Amino acid sequence: MIQINGLKKQYRSGETVVQALRGVDLEIQNGEFLSIAGPSGSGKTTLLNLIGCLDIADEGSIHIDSVDIAEKTRKELALLRREKIGFVFQSFNLIPVLTAYENASFPLSLLGVTEKELHERTVKIMQEVGLEEMMHRKPAELSGGQQQRVAIARALIKSPDIVLADEPTANLDSETGQDILDLMEVLNAKHNTTFIFSTHDQMVMDFAHRLVRLHDGLIHSDELTRRAAGGTKVGSRG
Amino acid sequence: MKFLVNLAFKNLFRHKRRTMITSIAIAVGLALFILIDSMLVGIEEDSTRNLVLYETGSARIMDAQFWEEHENLPLKHSIDNPQPILEDLEAAGIDAAPRTVFRGELIMQKDPYPESGSIQAQITAIDPQRDPQVYLIDESISAGRFLKEDRLEAVVGAWLAEDIGAQVGYPLTIVTRTKEGFFQTIDLEIVGLANTPNPVVNRTGIFIPIKTADYYLQMDGSVTQIDTSFPYQADIKKQTSKIRSVALEDRPDLTIVDWKILGKDFVALAAAKSAGSKVILFLVFIIAAVGISNTMLMSVYERIREIGMLRALGMRRHEIRLAFLIEAGGIGLIGASVGVLIGVLLNIPLVNNGIDYSALMRDADMGYRITGIMRGLWSTATILTAFFTGVVLSVLMAFIPTRKALKLQITDALRYQ
Repeated sequence: MIQINGLKKQYRSGETVVQALRGVDLEIQNGEFLSIAGPSGSGKTTLLNLIGCLDIADEGSIHIDSVDIAEKTRKELALLRREKIGFVFQSFNLIPVLTAYENASFPLSLLGVTEKELHERTVKIMQEVGLEEMMHRKPAELSGGQQQRVAIARALIKSPDIVLADEPTANLDSETGQDILDLMEVLNAKHNTTFIFSTHDQMVMDFAHRLVRLHDGLIHSDELTRRAAGGTKVGSRG
Repeated sequence: MKFLVNLAFKNLFRHKRRTMITSIAIAVGLALFILIDSMLVGIEEDSTRNLVLYETGSARIMDAQFWEEHENLPLKHSIDNPQPILEDLEAAGIDAAPRTVFRGELIMQKDPYPESGSIQAQITAIDPQRDPQVYLIDESISAGRFLKEDRLEAVVGAWLAEDIGAQVGYPLTIVTRTKEGFFQTIDLEIVGLANTPNPVVNRTGIFIPIKTADYYLQMDGSVTQIDTSFPYQADIKKQTSKIRSVALEDRPDLTIVDWKILGKDFVALAAAKSAGSKVILFLVFIIAAVGISNTMLMSVYERIREIGMLRALGMRRHEIRLAFLIEAGGIGLIGASVGVLIGVLLNIPLVNNGIDYSALMRDADMGYRITGIMRGLWSTATILTAFFTGVVLSVLMAFIPTRKALKLQITDALRYQ
């Protein structure tokens, strides 16, 4: 479970101070399929970065499985990301010199699993994302959708507790974007991994089971969508 | 670790052309380093050998006063009765030869010379029997023959002969002063031309028999110097001490000076040229270093987002740094291997055949005691230094941009354009 309390973060851009988050409280249960939505500058990416231990909050706290990440050292945070958090980026961020197989298996190399296990798990995840026939292609030889599938495979291969995806469909056409969201939803159900993705695209919001809307660094609304089991609205702010 | 090596290796070929250009820059730098060093060391070795074997001997015994005023060659401060010294040295197994060096004016008359005229010259009177124990002038006669004792004849440096239009059989008149300072004229015949590997001897050398000089200069058996020879690699201090204890204990008026002092102009020049050449080598390395630095800078900066991604996925800074350093080391390894290979291949003909600079050396005095062919010398230390410098330099050059890129916040790195 992720417990966020009174989270604040500001950036300095030249002389201007930007209040990215002004006090966010949020609780995310394990296995949720949650979208953080809002216009540009609303604080979506900042919130994802803080949950992903990529940045440090100015105020407030984030507890992941009851552990306050503010108390972790830089090394411990790196290990936490290595073991428990998967990332999917808007522009895929694959390593161009590595094949799809090598890109997907990279997190396992960091965890030091055996060659045999690495191979078995990589082949399995590549099958799950539907790229078993293209494992040995390099990113440049894959379409945008296929590259994002590799990125999802890379995020999921280590069986993380949380997958954070920052606008995962922004660089894809709507059909491919829908395929990717379908895939994420299937994998969320299959692995019971918490998926948190940011977006400002209505189609993506519609895919989420829970939708958290941010506006000017504050949570504007927080509700279960029609896709969620039961479809009950769980609350709103602002 | 395997992943890091794999990643570094693959990144090495991410931009093949860039890697190739940088590797070539390193290779050219290192090949030049090997060749220039080989040539410098070879020239210095040859020059030293030619200085000792044709010009100074290993060490010289002189009257202390003569040494003090040696630029004026004062015959009055010569070594009286050199025979016991020569005998003592011979008994101790030290090769030695007496010489008398004096100044004079060479007078040339038209027919047989092309033009009438005169030039100032330094004449060396040598013992034709003993001199070959110390010097190799006798083996360098290119025309005519070597000197015979007690005759009115001269051997002239081949280049000097060419300059004044002299040939074997031509008369040579020397106007000089005796030991007591009286004018004296010596009429000689040129019997041989010496073409040695030492340009100074070829350009200025005039040799006459010592007995002839003794008679005309009224030396009464005295000589200006006794030149000695000891093995080239021998310890100079030990050898001069030995000579002192063997032959000079009861001659406090005499002093002994080794070739490093006698040839100090050359030694200083060699040191200066060596320093100058090191500056050139340093510049060559700077060029290679700039190449590597530029490549690594571009490699690192175009991959800042990738670095951000790697860190986001839990890769630690030192692991990423290691991957970049391995990559830079790989470029260095390729460049160093090719550079050493090219350097070694080009050095083979340089060592075996050398480069013929005779036309240049004939007309220009570069200070080195070599007449034309400059030969290289093998140096394992230089080759190893070149190789490891190439690799280490590459790694060092990658360190700074990598460090800078890794200092960025992960979020800034991920946003980097």
